[in-house]
Amino acid sequence: MWVALLHDAVCAAFPSTARLPGLDRLDSRPFLREMLQHAPWVMWFGAIGSAIAWQLTPLLTIGLPLPAVLLSAGARARHASAMAGHRLYLVRMAMVMIKTVGGLYWGAAPEVRAALGLPTYGQDPATVRDEAFAARIIRPPCTGAL
Amino acid sequence: MSAGQHLTFRTGAAVELDCDYAVVGSGAGGASAAIELARAGLRVVVLEAGPWRDPQDYPWTMFGTMRDMFDSWGTLVATGDSIIPVVQASLVGGTPVINSAIVVRTPGDVLQAWHDQHGLGDTFDERAIGEAQDRIERELQIQETDWQIAGKAADYMLQGLRKLSIEAHPITRNVAHCKGAMQCLQGCRNRSKQTANLLWMRELVQERGGDVLSCAPVDRVLRVGGRAVGVSGRFRHPATRAAGATFSVRARRGVVLAASATGTGPLLQRSGVRLPALGRFFRGHPGAGVVGVYPHAIDMHTGPSQAAASMHHRLDQGIKLESLSLPLELFAARVGGAGAPLVDKLGDVRNCAMWVTAVRADAEGEIHQTWWGGRSLRYVPTRQDLARLRFGSKLLAQAHFEMGAEKVWPGVAGLPAELHKDQLHLFDDAPLDNRAWTWVLSHLFGGAVLGATPATAVVGPDLHVFGVRDLHVVDAAALPTTLGVNPQHTIMAVAAVTAKALANRA
Ligand SMILES: Cc1cc2nc3c(=O)[nH]c(=O)nc-3n(C[C@H](O)[C@H](O)[C@H](O)COP(=O)(O)OP(=O)(O)OC[C@H]3O[C@@H](n4cnc5c(N)ncnc54)[C@H](O)[C@@H]3O)c2cc1C
Repeated sequence: MWVALLHDAVCAAFPSTARLPGLDRLDSRPFLREMLQHAPWVMWFGAIGSAIAWQLTPLLTIGLPLPAVLLSAGARARHASAMAGHRLYLVRMAMVMIKTVGGLYWGAAPEVRAALGLPTYGQDPATVRDEAFAARIIRPPCTGAL
Repeated sequence: MSAGQHLTFRTGAAVELDCDYAVVGSGAGGASAAIELARAGLRVVVLEAGPWRDPQDYPWTMFGTMRDMFDSWGTLVATGDSIIPVVQASLVGGTPVINSAIVVRTPGDVLQAWHDQHGLGDTFDERAIGEAQDRIERELQIQETDWQIAGKAADYMLQGLRKLSIEAHPITRNVAHCKGAMQCLQGCRNRSKQTANLLWMRELVQERGGDVLSCAPVDRVLRVGGRAVGVSGRFRHPATRAAGATFSVRARRGVVLAASATGTGPLLQRSGVRLPALGRFFRGHPGAGVVGVYPHAIDMHTGPSQAAASMHHRLDQGIKLESLSLPLELFAARVGGAGAPLVDKLGDVRNCAMWVTAVRADAEGEIHQTWWGGRSLRYVPTRQDLARLRFGSKLLAQAHFEMGAEKVWPGVAGLPAELHKDQLHLFDDAPLDNRAWTWVLSHLFGGAVLGATPATAVVGPDLHVFGVRDLHVVDAAALPTTLGVNPQHTIMAVAAVTAKALANRA
């Protein structure tokens, strides 16, 4: 449920355009799941709190008394833009947080990087050194596209 | 001397060690002090809260970097009237592993002020600091950025500022054979950046008989009869944060703290030190960027993260200007807007150059240990700090236009999302409100500052903690003011001079 909530928000922040794939086309759910599972509680609350704010603020931003998930595509786009430029600081910050989480996935996604002509990243090794200065894997590989 | 050992996360039996000096933290201050003590023949144990990672372990992505290298995934924020992210690393080698490797000598005016107004001892005269910095520069292969690999974003800043008759120069960095892969923030997988995990901590273990404990956050300093005699804590797993075995290190000659400006003050508080200045006088160089959008490719993803700088207005305005290229993942959050307009803007990323103003801020904050084991940081840049940021941002926007930018993205709430050349004057009306700007804090100072008396400071002239014998602070926490330049060289030199004095003590 938390993943779905956050997924809805990041998809609105990074939708597909004619030129670039957005998070509606790239499946960020495994990434979001892993992030929520391992992140410190401050980040968890920041991300989920912001995703809840995304759902609850259409009344404040575009005057519609509906949760964001029930908005039409056009209204969602207007809500996202309005949140990013809202006069209330905390509303703006909620969108910054959504963009931060979504951006971590979107900006690293090979499809996006290829479309922009940027070099693609390798796999994060997630290793540390043990006594003998040899690498030891300490995390399961991420199942997302990273 | 026989080799030492590296002990990392473990469960089971408690780890107990003896040494001459226990050094807490292996960043700029801790690593520099530890190697100086060890080279003097003393037995040193370094305790580092984060894991030991070498370049093969460094992540590619920013998500991996936050998760694997940043302190608490980068979740520490300064609060007050706005939320300001505080970036720091937690791993062997400390924040220099993820920093931009900029090396600037301690300005003479700063050292003078520390002597005259804050009681810095004679041990730290200009000659001693200079000699330490000479040695550090040799060992860390300090060199001016090779302009062949500097990248257009830096080159344009240099040229743009010079067109405005503003001094600007290539940055000097602790890198060897930099390929300009734009991976400074992720730790430099090319091994170009010369950091303590690759140099001093290896030398400590393999040649000087010292021990390094990684994944070993120190919980408290052990004291007997008004004297620091060691440290204790519990190993913490770097991925799950699960608690492991306990450890305690007995230190015959003393304890040296270098857990950073956000770590040392709270550690002293946890250890029962009660001084009125503890946690206070937290200072910084907060900064914010201006993005120029050009009609042709700039390719921020090539070159080092930072390669050009200007100190032209360091003294009169208290600002330093720097080029700063960000990976797309972070840039995406920095660019204004959301939805299709945001993605459209990001489609121009290859035509963007970002330059930042770092402010030598007047603001003074406080860092404290919280009852739930976290840290709370209160820090509010003043109106004057905001005015300096506004001044620097306008200058950078002007330089962008000098270089042919079509528009700039100021990233300031209350200004249009993009400004054209004829709208430059709008910067003058940008709100002096912290909530309107996107500050980031990465140069931190204070929390256990130097001073003449225990009424106003935590450490005295030779950086010993007032009221506790054989306890010293050698990191950014002790620095009593901001510098107006990048701090790692000063921190390393102050730590080295302190360690040398400790080693020479009978
Ligand atoms: C993104 C970024 C870029 C920067 N670029 C530059 C630059 O180019 N040039 C420059 O001069 N400066 C730069 N800086 C600043 C510079 O890196 C810091 O000022 C400097 O590293 C601070 O040194 P320190 O010893 O105080 O702390 P750190 O280097 O942060 O080291 C502190 C260490 O102590 C450990 N620690 C904390 N608590 C405990 C505990 N309880 N027990 C054990 N260990 C503990 C931490 O895990 C950490 O490894 C940059 C900073 C950032 C964030």
